[in-house]
Amino acid sequence: MQGFALYPFDPPGDSSALRTGLRRWLAEHQPQDDVVRRANCWASFDPDFSRALGAAGYIGMTLPARYGGGERHPLERYVVIEELLAAGAPVGAHWIADRQTGPLILRYGSEEQRERYLPGIARGETYACIGLSEPGAGSDLASVRTTARETAEGWRINGQKIWTTGAHLSHIMLALVRTEEGSERNAGLSQLLIDLDTPGITIRPIIDMAGHHDFNEIFFDDVLVPHAALVGERGQGWKQVTAELGLERSGPERYLSSHALFAALIDAAGPDPAPALAVLIGELAAEMWTLRQLSMSTAAKLAAGEDPMVEASVVKELGNAFEQEMPRRVQAVVECGWDDPDDLARLLRALLIASPSFSLRGGTREVIRGIIARGLGLR
Amino acid sequence: MSAAREMLCDTARAVFADAQEGGIAPIETAGFGLLLVSEADGGFGGDWGDANAVLRIAGVAVPDLPVTDLILSGLAPVPDALRAAATVGLMAGAAGQALGLSIEHVNTRQQFGRPLGKFQAVQQSLAVLACEVAALDAAAAAMAARLDATGLDAEAADFEIAAAKLRANRAVGVVTAIAHQVHGAIGFTREYDLHRVTIPLMRWRSMHGSDAYWAERLGRQVAGLGGRGLWEALTARAE
Repeated sequence: MQGFALYPFDPPGDSSALRTGLRRWLAEHQPQDDVVRRANCWASFDPDFSRALGAAGYIGMTLPARYGGGERHPLERYVVIEELLAAGAPVGAHWIADRQTGPLILRYGSEEQRERYLPGIARGETYACIGLSEPGAGSDLASVRTTARETAEGWRINGQKIWTTGAHLSHIMLALVRTEEGSERNAGLSQLLIDLDTPGITIRPIIDMAGHHDFNEIFFDDVLVPHAALVGERGQGWKQVTAELGLERSGPERYLSSHALFAALIDAAGPDPAPALAVLIGELAAEMWTLRQLSMSTAAKLAAGEDPMVEASVVKELGNAFEQEMPRRVQAVVECGWDDPDDLARLLRALLIASPSFSLRGGTREVIRGIIARGLGLR
Repeated sequence: MSAAREMLCDTARAVFADAQEGGIAPIETAGFGLLLVSEADGGFGGDWGDANAVLRIAGVAVPDLPVTDLILSGLAPVPDALRAAATVGLMAGAAGQALGLSIEHVNTRQQFGRPLGKFQAVQQSLAVLACEVAALDAAAAAMAARLDATGLDAEAADFEIAAAKLRANRAVGVVTAIAHQVHGAIGFTREYDLHRVTIPLMRWRSMHGSDAYWAERLGRQVAGLGGRGLWEALTARAE
């Protein structure tokens, strides 16, 4: 590498008008959710909100109009999603479909797949989950063992996926499966787009330590999907997944997950905070501002058609550290009881408990640092 | 980088190399005091992006010469916040050099029969170092953009200068610690070049505002904005 390549963030058109329009729309349409749902809000499912957002043209923004998209520039979409996250809008239902599944179908999918799935995604009605992790393939993704055998009728899938966020609320899964018998590691893998109501699929909840049902384990028992479920090229699944992960790792969600807590802290501090609190707010603000630059620059590199694998990993690494540290540092400075009923205490508790997952989801800290090291020319 | 800025950087590299022997005189002679002076006033008409690019080179090549004073001498008066802003440029250059030296070292130095860079523990440390360098670079660039958008008005760029100097200060501890750790004993010698960037980094952290100074100042500004106001200000200031 030699350095993080900085790209100017320069969306076409009037981005402050885009922001203002969305803020006005949100003032009218954002549900008056409990404040805790506004934290980590890309995990908050609200299909009614997603449909309204889709109808207003804020989902599938970069997709072509013939698939129901807005034909907007990727950096215009960036402006929209950072506004949604900063407002704590419940974007979880459509989040994965809008962020990665839709773009991947557009890039690698067949015409039939595009026509079938993209309009629903853009309307905020079709939700997707990511079929990567397996019991034996966590950080070591190339150990995927779920198989799909090609038969006369279609692909027969057997195996298991795990830690699949939102599978119980999703319509489709983009799964990485082993299509070539006897293949090993990252060869012989393909991506299949699977309708989750297909017979033979069992979805079971895994309740997390916060008591929430976000992720699931999914069993495939001789599941038959059509030949046309193959996305892109047979055997090229690894390459396609790598591109997908670039979309997943660099977005503003990697530093805005704890933003509701920061806003509550600032409001609770009032206009004349004690020195220790002012210092904490200043340090958090400086880090957030820096992360925003890094994330915008990475988005600009991606929008320029280049692969920001290393930059995206830097954003994820620093962003995760920031949003994990924030609740811990707030707890160290602010006097509030664990069970206090006020917003700040409840947000703090919720994020302290949720934050260990931040450096696990989307690639563990150790894997991410390994990618950065490879970018530096080590290994 | 624009062609004009590339040329400016080439000149800076050549002149600063001479200055390693000759002191500040060749830098003065080459006209770097006119970098920020408008063309109408007989200057180079450069912007803060240019100054930042030159200062990055100065931070590596001539960390002990008063290049920031020389560049800022073209402006009058010079608020201390602009000195802090200029120091961020030096720090970005020096931190990048600390990373470059570290990569070079771990890829060449062999222990246990292989280069140090093959060890995961070393890789993970260098990844952390690289992230800090990226953060410092991004902070310096964003601060430069704001200064240029406001015509080098340090008051109008107060948020960005505070955030960038604070972020640069915070990077120093991590960058110097990891760079020295992966170098081992050789990095602690006078002969080897690492101290030529790490000692200046330590010095610059103390200059023109400590972490606590800028953090409290920025924190008070943000407290005045309020929770929602912070987001509105962040987005509006960069647009």
